[in-house]
Amino acid sequence: MPIQSGRARKLCRRSFLKLVGGAGVLGATLGIAGCGASASADAAAGAAGWMPSQYNVPAGWPVQVRGRVAIAPDNPSITRDNEKCILCGQCIEVCKNVQSVFDNYELPFKEEIICIHCGQCTHWCPSGAITEVDENAKVIAALADPNKFVVVQMAPSTRVGLGEEFGFPVGTNVERLQYAALYKLGFDAVFDTNFSADLTIMEEGSELVRRVLGVNEHDGHANNTLPQFTSCCPGWVKYVEYYYPDLMAHLSSSKSPQQMTAPLYKTYYAETKGIDPKNIFSVSIMPCTAKKFEAARPEMNAASRLYDDPAVSADVDVVLTVRELARLIKNQGIDFNELTEVDCDKMMGEYTGAGAIFGATGGVMEAAVRSAYYLITGEQPPAALWELTPVRGLAGVKEAAVSIPGAGEVKVCVVSGLANAGVVMDRVRAGDRSYAFIEVMACPSGCQYGGGQPRSSSPPSDAVRTTRTETLYRIDRECQLRNSHDNPEITALYKNYLGEPGSELAELLLHTSYTSRAEKLTVKRV
Amino acid sequence: METARRRWTFKMTPVRGLFLLIALIALAIVLVRLVLGLGATTNLNDQWPWGFWISFDVLIGVALAGGGYGIALIVYVLRRDGFYPIARSAMLTSLLGYVIVVLGLLIEVGQWFNFYQPFISWGHHSVLFEVFWCISMYTLIQVLEFCEIATEKIFRGAHGLLKAIMPVLLVIGITLPTLHQSSLGGLYYEMIGKLDALWWSPLLPPFFLLSSFLVGPAMIVLETALSARVTKHVVPLPVLRGLVRISAVALLIYFIAKIGDLLVAGELGGAFAGTFASNMFLLELGLGCLVPLLLFFGGACAKRGGLILYGICVVAGVVMNRFNVVMTGMGEYLNRAGGQYFPSWTEFVVSAGLVCIACLIYLFIVENFNIVGEPGHGEEQSRQEGKFVTD
Amino acid sequence: MTNELTAGKAFGALVDIPRCIGCESCSVACKLYNGLDWEEERKRLTAADRAAEPNKGLWPEDWTSIAQYNPEKDGVRTIRFVKSQCFHCDEPACASACFSKAFQKLPQGPVIYDQSLCVGCRYCMLACPFDIIKYEWDKAIPACRKCQMCAPRVAEGEAPACVAVCPTGALFFGEKEEVLAEAKKRIAAGDYIDHIYGEQEAGGTGWLYISDIPFAEMRFRTDVTTRSLPSYTESYMGATPLVGIGWAAVLAGLYVYNNKGKDHLD
Repeated sequence: MPIQSGRARKLCRRSFLKLVGGAGVLGATLGIAGCGASASADAAAGAAGWMPSQYNVPAGWPVQVRGRVAIAPDNPSITRDNEKCILCGQCIEVCKNVQSVFDNYELPFKEEIICIHCGQCTHWCPSGAITEVDENAKVIAALADPNKFVVVQMAPSTRVGLGEEFGFPVGTNVERLQYAALYKLGFDAVFDTNFSADLTIMEEGSELVRRVLGVNEHDGHANNTLPQFTSCCPGWVKYVEYYYPDLMAHLSSSKSPQQMTAPLYKTYYAETKGIDPKNIFSVSIMPCTAKKFEAARPEMNAASRLYDDPAVSADVDVVLTVRELARLIKNQGIDFNELTEVDCDKMMGEYTGAGAIFGATGGVMEAAVRSAYYLITGEQPPAALWELTPVRGLAGVKEAAVSIPGAGEVKVCVVSGLANAGVVMDRVRAGDRSYAFIEVMACPSGCQYGGGQPRSSSPPSDAVRTTRTETLYRIDRECQLRNSHDNPEITALYKNYLGEPGSELAELLLHTSYTSRAEKLTVKRV
Repeated sequence: METARRRWTFKMTPVRGLFLLIALIALAIVLVRLVLGLGATTNLNDQWPWGFWISFDVLIGVALAGGGYGIALIVYVLRRDGFYPIARSAMLTSLLGYVIVVLGLLIEVGQWFNFYQPFISWGHHSVLFEVFWCISMYTLIQVLEFCEIATEKIFRGAHGLLKAIMPVLLVIGITLPTLHQSSLGGLYYEMIGKLDALWWSPLLPPFFLLSSFLVGPAMIVLETALSARVTKHVVPLPVLRGLVRISAVALLIYFIAKIGDLLVAGELGGAFAGTFASNMFLLELGLGCLVPLLLFFGGACAKRGGLILYGICVVAGVVMNRFNVVMTGMGEYLNRAGGQYFPSWTEFVVSAGLVCIACLIYLFIVENFNIVGEPGHGEEQSRQEGKFVTD
Repeated sequence: MTNELTAGKAFGALVDIPRCIGCESCSVACKLYNGLDWEEERKRLTAADRAAEPNKGLWPEDWTSIAQYNPEKDGVRTIRFVKSQCFHCDEPACASACFSKAFQKLPQGPVIYDQSLCVGCRYCMLACPFDIIKYEWDKAIPACRKCQMCAPRVAEGEAPACVAVCPTGALFFGEKEEVLAEAKKRIAAGDYIDHIYGEQEAGGTGWLYISDIPFAEMRFRTDVTTRSLPSYTESYMGATPLVGIGWAAVLAGLYVYNNKGKDHLD
């Protein structure tokens, strides 16, 4: 056998030996000659990808935008898919320059990554890496649970954004289609946060009046601090807790609209309808990512505290942004365009024009002024207060002076964007008491381009902002009732349940207190 | 005559069948390893880059095969002709040991097809570079040395040439293992701070060299005892006794040096720390050094049984030493952040398969070549006695 | 592959732990530039998860990682992020351990790996004093994987990708002396422990760390030798050829002497 195949094998063996010998001699020569002694950078592994062009400059050269913001993994509002991040630096751009959060602290961090959850970075992120924390699964599970009575509220701005997700022109008011979609999804009761906004005005307006009159009390303490700051915006509230804890007494103790009616669903509504509050699952549709944070604040469990029953869950169980709602509708196979317009549930669904404009910067102020006029004078506000133009528009800081008989000329200020707020706050901290009331919304131009709204332009454009805002004011104009105090359901609520604004029950369910976060960071002193 | 010379024989027995089966299973696992990678066939991980295969196939394989160069030194260089009867057998088992080592290495390394790189791209500052060159060169030389025996039967034309260069082969063939046996210890120089101080020492290379030298006779005692069952060839007792005497002296030196080294380093106390590593160390030194020394100097090695016991203890001691260096001694460091390693069954089977292959080859060669017979006229004599050819 | 920015210079980098906000720009940049995969089972790990991993979050496809620790400072639980990557030792143990020159130290500083030269023995992994090198256990043709310090970028005078994207100045890149001077400057000016990790460790490393929290509390190896690891084997390897030749000569002499006048054995 070996002899038979010897010929072929011999050839193979010879060529093989030649190869090995040749390689060995070559290698030995190279080795001794010192060739390959130092490799070149080309031999390195990796380097198979790319970098955004701004980084491809010699080390130490200036770069216009660099890196990205830090997002804690337990951030209740926003999250990031690292795989989609292209390090464009835009999140830092908005967080630092528009919101004055990033880099507005000394390093090192103390206990946590600083974030006010506004979610503006989700709009600025060009690759969709930063998104809201998706909580649809919880809602789907609750809807599928036959024991749960699932109520939902939808915020003022949501109706001027949601349509964009379904092909409607920017700023289309899809309010009654949105109600229909929510019913179709299986919610047992659909309420409108516009009602809650009216309620907020009653409490916050009354509080303002009490402060002006010097008779305000909260938590058993007199608090007549002026100017009063709005507290509807949870991003703004956390910003104060971080950066201006010394000014916390200025914040209205009234909760935001979301947090005002949420405990009422589990108390007033539950008692009226005979539903066990433990079985009520409360969802809110918000234009906002910070609302997720707000709902998760430990003190936001007024219903549970009222009944002294830990089995009653948080006032708001889940917050969905408009983007999540749009996804939910799509994923559940609901053709939004084919829905028939319906009304929402009564009892806490009726609203006035004052509540509708909460979604625009200046809206809360305008609504508050209308009712403050009534609360101070006992008379309906003049028609001029239904078009308070100085507080409208996209400017970051707006001022207005309103003459109210009995209170004289009241100066108010409206701010959106936290970098702008910082400027005003520094003035207040320095002793400026020229304003009676300051409205602040964290997101530039207010909730209608909040961090949870559809990304109809990225970064947010003023064109979209203006169009959405105009729709909100049109809703106001077209309302029969334009003052919060005229809302019959509000009147009924106070008559049947709460008593009067600022009552003991109202204080428990509708008011809150704030936590200094001063120890969480060292604010940068400029 | 011509036809008789080309006659090959291999007697199949149940034990050999079992060896074959294990070898085949091992080969199947090796195939899986080549296709799916090391992760699929071993429990190795980023914390434990070296495990059972390195310690058993390579470190232990090389150490236990150390009998070859030791005997070559004693018989051919020092001309202690009394040990000649076991020279060929010892050198054959050494060769087969290195075949296991080389095969094991090819399976163990990730890019086996690149095995030749160190011949071309000289990482000459690496201790492993020396180990690699020495082991590959020494394996080649051992093959040539074996060819000298093989050409008694086949390709007889080359026998004269091989015989002529044998002195050169022998000298290089003793030099190389001396270097790489010690360098295997030198590999762990760089594990300072990682390898337990009970094993890490500047004297690692001499310890490895000495232990490979002293385990040689122990292995020969065991091998001849085992192969006697197959070949009916019984090595005279004085020969083994003489070998063990050499081994025991080396063992005494090793033991004293080891204790002295720990004393000087101030680490002897660590041996009684009661940890897993320290207990393993005590076991290694007790079973592998103290017991065989007592056996020898207590006179128990006069009889074949005592010699075999000596052999078992010393071999076990060296096996434990290599396992301890690669695994036990590194365990505390490698596991300190939550790593863990215990060999998978596939690792055991592949190593066992390699050993089985070596045994089968050994048996085949012993049956077909003049390994254990008398020098010079082995072939004719053995055929006359009808021991190796069953035709 | 050097230009006037890099000719004759050796570069290093500084990791200023207190200045790190844990944004992980660096690890994303590493993936982008090096074209590393995002593995499904690892992409959702948090910095705290990584701190609990034996490898601090370094895997074959993760050459740099951020781990989150919560040490106490002045009795208060705090938050610190530590970047891990290859230290690019001045005298790298991996390169000295590699018998086929798959690992090499470039004159500009990076310690690089060339898979085409690698046999896959993994001695480098054991030799590395910081356990940086990872292995592709699941591949038929596996490679060692570790940070290459973006060698082509460094050769062009650009900072490594991770340093280039750091938004807070926690990472600083420059010539080795420059980096050391910067570290000393920052220690002198701020609230730091007076220890530059990597100045002495393993005989000096290209990447240096400064911190306000003891390094031991953030899983730094504090028992690492300050002598360069290659120096442990240098003299040994240097002596080997002489020992070998000498020993062979002795053996040859003995062979000739002992075989004089005797019959040759087979």
